[in-house]
Amino acid sequence: MSLTVRKRLSAVITYVVLIIVFIFVVFPIFYTFMGSFKSNQELLTSGSTIIPQKFVLDNYEQAWSLANFEQYTWNSLYMSFFIVLGTIITSTVSGYCFERGKFRGKNTIFAIVVSSMFVSLGSLTLYPTVMIAKWFGINKSLWGVILIRVLGMNVTNLFITRTYIRTVSPEIDEAAKIDGCSFFSTFVHIIFPLLKPLIATIAILEFRHSWNDYMMPMVFTMSKPERMPLVVGVVRLKSSGEAASSWNLMLAGTAISMIPMIAVYMIFNRYFIEGMTAGAVKG
Amino acid sequence: MSVRPVKKPMKLSIKNDSVQAVLMLMPMLMGFALFTYGPILYILRFCLYKANDFKATYIGFDNFIRAFQRDPDFWDAMLNTVILSAGKLIIEIPLAMVLAILLNKGLRGTGFFRTFLFLPAITSTAIVGLIFSLMFASFDGIVNNILQSVGLISRPINWMGNKWTALEMLGIASIWNNFPINMIYFLMALQSIPTEIYECAELDGVTPWKRFWKITLPMIAPIAQVVVLMAIVGSLKVSDLVLASTNGAPGGRTEVIMTYVFKYFFGYSGRAVEIGYASAMSVITGIFLAIVSLIYMRVTNKMNRVY
Repeated sequence: MSLTVRKRLSAVITYVVLIIVFIFVVFPIFYTFMGSFKSNQELLTSGSTIIPQKFVLDNYEQAWSLANFEQYTWNSLYMSFFIVLGTIITSTVSGYCFERGKFRGKNTIFAIVVSSMFVSLGSLTLYPTVMIAKWFGINKSLWGVILIRVLGMNVTNLFITRTYIRTVSPEIDEAAKIDGCSFFSTFVHIIFPLLKPLIATIAILEFRHSWNDYMMPMVFTMSKPERMPLVVGVVRLKSSGEAASSWNLMLAGTAISMIPMIAVYMIFNRYFIEGMTAGAVKG
Repeated sequence: MSVRPVKKPMKLSIKNDSVQAVLMLMPMLMGFALFTYGPILYILRFCLYKANDFKATYIGFDNFIRAFQRDPDFWDAMLNTVILSAGKLIIEIPLAMVLAILLNKGLRGTGFFRTFLFLPAITSTAIVGLIFSLMFASFDGIVNNILQSVGLISRPINWMGNKWTALEMLGIASIWNNFPINMIYFLMALQSIPTEIYECAELDGVTPWKRFWKITLPMIAPIAQVVVLMAIVGSLKVSDLVLASTNGAPGGRTEVIMTYVFKYFFGYSGRAVEIGYASAMSVITGIFLAIVSLIYMRVTNKMNRVY
């Protein structure tokens, strides 16, 4: 076999594998979106076809007006908005203080924060978290989730901000200091404006996380459907007893919850992939 | 737990840079202490109590004795978690690696494939659970329909009716959801390998197979070690996927460790709230996770030294 033939063959095999995986990956999403346009009758009688015989918007209308999805969408939007906004501020401030601040015990505190990555118990700490939130009276709404996410010190974000600020020349700080800037005002006027690319990364990571999160918003809105975000609301349909009759709502709801995420991903796709890997390398 | 401002005898005013740094950091440090270490302290305290939402009585190590001697369901849940994690990682990690290598060839259309293959990673895990449980529904589910129409099965499989088929469904859903991020990590690792090494190897006539085992794998081993550790710990901690799809069906036999303990904490799905016992199981789970990570690091460090 000559070299060119071999190269061609390897390219063909590569494409075949990629296309098979592509189908496997896209199929569930495609199925969901197509299903969401089927009429309820068609869903219950002939589930075998993927493409609907007739495209109808009934499911969306029903989900939106009858099944509370307008409220869920609004809840998701405001929860994500405040988490993104808050995290941008708290992550950059913490990164700045740990990188440029000089105070006793800084390295010890940093080590304690980072080591929390290794003692994380996942969903097992949710109940104690709710109980602690109860002391502050924030256990009954999404504000609990927002405050915990914003103030809870995300180690990944801390790493990427600290590393990023390290690349900013210290001479800029010195110059600001000579001009009479304090530690705080140096951050506000000099450092923060330099962090724009980093802010985009944090915003996207945090949006993905808060929009998709299920466990934490679920335990904070248990038995309060009017406060649930989209993901919690959609999954609730499944366990609410009339599961079989609400397939159409589940499919439409799933589509509604996925559309904003996919849209943001398609627009900022480069930041997404860079951002999601950035945190891991340092970790 | 919280950190006091640094005491300097000279000038402790708001104009001092160190004071400003500590003050700026204070809200986050308090939030961190309360919401990261707070819950762990809470669990460590209540694991020695018999407690529900209203009262708590000290009972010493009874909760642990109960978990070890009288609760086979807990160990079943742990075994399920291990089986599910092992089963899906054996497919997921090599799949992610192969795809990363294919995407690293730089063929035309790579960007397109990279964008679309990453889609599952931006989908909520709970939503993934929901979509897959709809696709694998026994009546009129699309998976049964496809398998029937190509003739692989003669009548619909009741996927949720049997522990093993339900675990299969969870595994497939989890692979779908998690392979893209590992693929991207591996791709990033591959791109950090200097191309000169491959050029030399090509001149020496090294076969692609050998090239993978002797050059690529050793070069990405340090990153792969961390990626696989994260994948292992992540899959042992799976909870939302199971809650949103099987929710333990059939009859609690696909319960994983996180959902099992979660239900004792919250009394979810009609269970009585037992905070003390749930805390004790959390402690055991935490120790289990730590042991798995330690063994993994030991073994892989040895393997790293072989190269």
